[in-house]
Amino acid sequence: MNKFKLDGEYILSITASILLALILGGIIMIFNGKNPIQGYGALITGAFGSKYALATTFTKTVPLILTGLATAIAFMTGIFNIGGEGQLYLGAFAATYIGFTFKGLPVSLGVILATICAAIAGAALSYIPAILKVKFKIDEVIVCVMLNSIAMLFTGYLVNYPFKATDGSMGGSNLIADQYKFSKLMDVSKLNTSIIYTAMIAIFIYYLIKKTSYGYDFKMIGENNLFAKYMGLATEKYMIVAMLISGALCGIAGAFEVYGLHYRFLPNLSKGYAFDGMLIALIVKNNPLGIIIMSIFFAALKTGSVVMELETGISSELVAVIQALIILFMAGETGFKEFFKRKNLSKKGA
Amino acid sequence: MKDIFNLSLLQNMIRTATPLILAALGGLLTMQSGILNIGMEGMILLGAFFAVVGSYFFASSAMGVGLAVISGILIGLLFGIFVIELKSDEFVIGVAINILGAGLTVFLLRTIFGVKGAFSSPDIIPLPDINIGFLAKFPVLDAIFNNHSIFVYISWILVILVYIFLFKTPMGYWLRASGESPAALETAGVSPKKMKYISSILCGILCGFAGAHLSLGYLTLFTENMSANKGFIALSVIIFGSSHPIKAFFAALLFGFFDALGIRLQSVGIPSQFTQMIPYIATIVVLFIVSQKTFQRRKSSEV
Repeated sequence: MNKFKLDGEYILSITASILLALILGGIIMIFNGKNPIQGYGALITGAFGSKYALATTFTKTVPLILTGLATAIAFMTGIFNIGGEGQLYLGAFAATYIGFTFKGLPVSLGVILATICAAIAGAALSYIPAILKVKFKIDEVIVCVMLNSIAMLFTGYLVNYPFKATDGSMGGSNLIADQYKFSKLMDVSKLNTSIIYTAMIAIFIYYLIKKTSYGYDFKMIGENNLFAKYMGLATEKYMIVAMLISGALCGIAGAFEVYGLHYRFLPNLSKGYAFDGMLIALIVKNNPLGIIIMSIFFAALKTGSVVMELETGISSELVAVIQALIILFMAGETGFKEFFKRKNLSKKGA
Repeated sequence: MKDIFNLSLLQNMIRTATPLILAALGGLLTMQSGILNIGMEGMILLGAFFAVVGSYFFASSAMGVGLAVISGILIGLLFGIFVIELKSDEFVIGVAINILGAGLTVFLLRTIFGVKGAFSSPDIIPLPDINIGFLAKFPVLDAIFNNHSIFVYISWILVILVYIFLFKTPMGYWLRASGESPAALETAGVSPKKMKYISSILCGILCGFAGAHLSLGYLTLFTENMSANKGFIALSVIIFGSSHPIKAFFAALLFGFFDALGIRLQSVGIPSQFTQMIPYIATIVVLFIVSQKTFQRRKSSEV
């Protein structure tokens, strides 16, 4: 089975999972005394129905694409980065620190410096589970989960004590210097240039995975670690490098949230973006193009659900339920297939 | 110092450790059967919510616990079907259950009670506090151990019951074998699948208890995300306690102590963030030490 290829059969099962989850969501709406056609109608127009809706949807894809790619690149080599949330927070703080401390730099220099610092901060945090996994065989999932909490508490400490806002920003850090703020691409909406930078990063990662020997090596290590070792690849080094790239991407996602949207560090900056990104990567089996498409879909669900709630009174949280269902169905995909195969065989046998 | 280290600190330790004990007992059962369950967070949250639903609509805290147990059985079964039957990735299913728990509870909060964020009402019947009469004769013990909510005492009994179940009954032995050597268990005529299902469902029930304690024993309300990472801390408790109920009990007390201490230290100006970090850092350190030990054992056996 090829882990990374999206073939026809796979696309079929992903479509079936989404449809099934949407149907179940519709049934929940009916039980709720609401009309699912109206509900989903409002959701679709809310996500795609106007220029503003589209802009909002695309704004929300930025952290999903970045954290999705981050998960994919680590998982390709067989290491599971579930610590993206913590890396995102640390990166966001590092970038914000540059933004409110060095206020006099030329714009491009300041923003680039902030992005690099965010990437370093994220990568530094991802290095811990990577090195523990590679050198000491410690389960990276548990370490990542612990580090998520540590990073959130640590950044929470930073903005509550040493870097408590002095400019009147409530419950966060000081604002970054005005000139560093990413410019908006459209009035009223929040769409900003971070989406362009994200697209550039996505193209770079796509190129790295698909067109360079690194991508091939990553894949080989993930699919057959032992074989890769015999082929003379320094598998451990590759795993660490993949994890560092992964952490850097999550850090950058944090920086973009600050520079594009909030302009300061907030203790509840991320609404589980890294978890969503991770699930997106898992659903599309780490395919970079798939990650972009699925990120738009997830972002559309989030954006549209707000309008759905306003217009029909259906709680926007239904979308989280639908997302969880899609993930469950996709995760069960192979099992479902085998189950039905077994059933068919026993039928034929009888 | 006197204001920080006093009897009520120990009393708070016991209170804050209780949901950790309950959830950790559930999680260590699945761990023993060879499944790492990171979905406990969602399971606790669902338990907390349905406990409030049961208590509110039936005007009875017992019905609240009953509903929490039912939700625990269902979510444990769901987890089991995907992980055991459909062989899905246990991390993915765990994360999905966490998202489902967070999403579904807020959704239902909105649709059933018509509120966002939190629901509290005088019609939610809390769990009773237990007064143990003879403890009143010993002021120190009385202050620490008496007059807690009922699940505090239930959790202690459950520690012993889970210990007996795991290590003194055939089913407990099978459950552990289903994690260690499922093939051997199969040869012996016991289905490892069945054992894994039992552990998943028990984990759901125990996390349901933990949730019910949070929403009916500790406070009498439900708020969004009121599980506040307790599922993940319970995971640290399990690792810290090397999946052993008695060791996990003491690990949970330790974590509860730091939690209670953190709240205290905040009042004298030490940021609570640092004391809250201790369990997480400790877990990583413990994992490191354990791995070093096995590493050395491997080395010496090679020689």
